[in-house]
Amino acid sequence: MVDIANEIQQQVRERKPLTPAAMLKNRWFLYGVSLMFFFVVWDSSARMFASGLPRPHEVVLQLWRMLFDPLAGKSLLGHVWASTQRILIGFTIATLVAVPLGLMMALNRYVNAIVKPLFDLLKPMPPLAWISIAILWFGIGETSKVFIIIIGTFVPCLLDAYNGVRLVEPELYDVVRMLGGNRRDEIVQVCFPAAFPAIFAGLQIALSIAWSCVLAAELVSARSGLGFIIILGMNLSRPAMIVGGMVVIALVSWGMSQLVSVLERFVCPWKREIDSP
Amino acid sequence: MKDETHPGQTKIVCEDITKIFIQKGKQRVHVLDHISLDVKENEFVVILGPGQSGKSTLLRIIAGLETPTEGRVLLDGREVEGPGPDRGLVFQGYMLFAWKTVMGNVEMGPKLRGVPKNERREIAAHYIHLVGLDGFENHYPHQLSGGMKQRVGIARAYANNPQVMLLDEPFGQLDAQTRYFMEKETARIWETEKRTILFVTNNIDEAIYLADRIVTMVGKLPGRMDVVYNVDLPRPREHTDMAFLKLRHEITEASELTL
Ligand SMILES: Nc1ncnc2c1ncn2[C@@H]1O[C@H](COP(=O)(O)OP(=O)(O)OP(=O)(O)O)[C@@H](O)[C@H]1O
Ligand SMILES: [Mg+2]
Repeated sequence: MVDIANEIQQQVRERKPLTPAAMLKNRWFLYGVSLMFFFVVWDSSARMFASGLPRPHEVVLQLWRMLFDPLAGKSLLGHVWASTQRILIGFTIATLVAVPLGLMMALNRYVNAIVKPLFDLLKPMPPLAWISIAILWFGIGETSKVFIIIIGTFVPCLLDAYNGVRLVEPELYDVVRMLGGNRRDEIVQVCFPAAFPAIFAGLQIALSIAWSCVLAAELVSARSGLGFIIILGMNLSRPAMIVGGMVVIALVSWGMSQLVSVLERFVCPWKREIDSP
Repeated sequence: MKDETHPGQTKIVCEDITKIFIQKGKQRVHVLDHISLDVKENEFVVILGPGQSGKSTLLRIIAGLETPTEGRVLLDGREVEGPGPDRGLVFQGYMLFAWKTVMGNVEMGPKLRGVPKNERREIAAHYIHLVGLDGFENHYPHQLSGGMKQRVGIARAYANNPQVMLLDEPFGQLDAQTRYFMEKETARIWETEKRTILFVTNNIDEAIYLADRIVTMVGKLPGRMDVVYNVDLPRPREHTDMAFLKLRHEITEASELTL
């Protein structure tokens, strides 16, 4: 079977010598250049506009101070945790309800017939439209914030689980039946694994929506969280505090999305090589 | 045809099969028209026809994935009522489980039938070896070339130890060289593990190279059976044999297929 060796596409990665041309093509080098450029532009514009925009090192200093001096009784990490906790609770509840519901809608037309009209009605409503009514119902405490997150993340979780199953190649079910499987085997062996990537795509979208939701809710009313820091910065006219809050949100949100990616690679090992560049 | 190889036991009978699909909007698509076909045990029958002549539909009916509008299919004298592991189907588009390794794909049949892990691993390893994929057990389908994917499809079907193998243009998407190689492999595998094989193709050379008997179909819906050729050439066959070329000429003249 000599021919088989020719059939596999081999991916050999060679170490190339470090010439200027090779450096220009290096991913990490370009990342560095891009970031450096960003900070230089930021810093020079900050110097020109004096007060409106804080300089990068001022933001870092401000964050450093907030790590140790509590604001409204909480250090920076306390505020990070306040926002993160709201997201974790809301996101988890939404996922645990929406993903199974989406799967069931795709698998059972009666469930679909009952849920779909309601869902289609609520789907186009922006989650932030719920903020006022949520505060009326649940007050300004944690419940209203978690509620907004659930509303916001429910839609992408459900839709992607639903579409993930809907888009499965129907002949794959034929394969299972030809091999002697029943309906349950079709669902376990084909439906779920085929839908996993779509479900994870939905989780990623839901996560970024969750951050918008928690922020909006905290801007409206809160005594803790990153949204609270931003509002406080505005009220105290301290741009470094506002930008610091924005930077931390970006970092934490990025970190959480990385965690979801890690989980995806663990659950869907067959995708590992497809995704990596 | 030498009768020692096929002691005359009839395996599959297609009795006057007609298939009409009713599409949405009440449109009728007449795909198969009165197909009758007998296949003997361990016979290699090739169904040769142009595109859109209902070849896949006929194979899916024999597989039990579609029901004929008229007529019926008998397997060992019993009417086929649905899909089942006594028939192995190799799909035109591979249809591998992207989330399973080569091993996971090939052992799926025994797994679904409740064969214990060690035993089914052994079975799968045997068929992975038979199709020449040793060393690729832990590769995922996307890491394989087209020819290798179809080997997995073939091994997966064989691993269930079906009495009948149904192959639907298995090499249609391969380049000419790989295709030629896979045809040789198919002949080799059939010699090693005798099965009744129904093989669909639109390629005359492939048909003559593999078949004991070639059933040609006429294009343009509805698909109908045309001439049946017995291929009495000794194996292994050579594409450049005089007898091979003569038969090829004969079939080309008689059918709409030119290649
Ligand atoms: N489920 C279906 N509903 C309606 N029409 C169908 C269905 N399945 C197949 N057909 C029609 O039957 C015709 C024949 O299809 P089939 O796939 O059997 O042909 P084929 O000979 O295998 O073609 P090819 O060589 O391209 O694979 C096609 O015109 C197709 O549109
Ligand atoms: Mg076809």
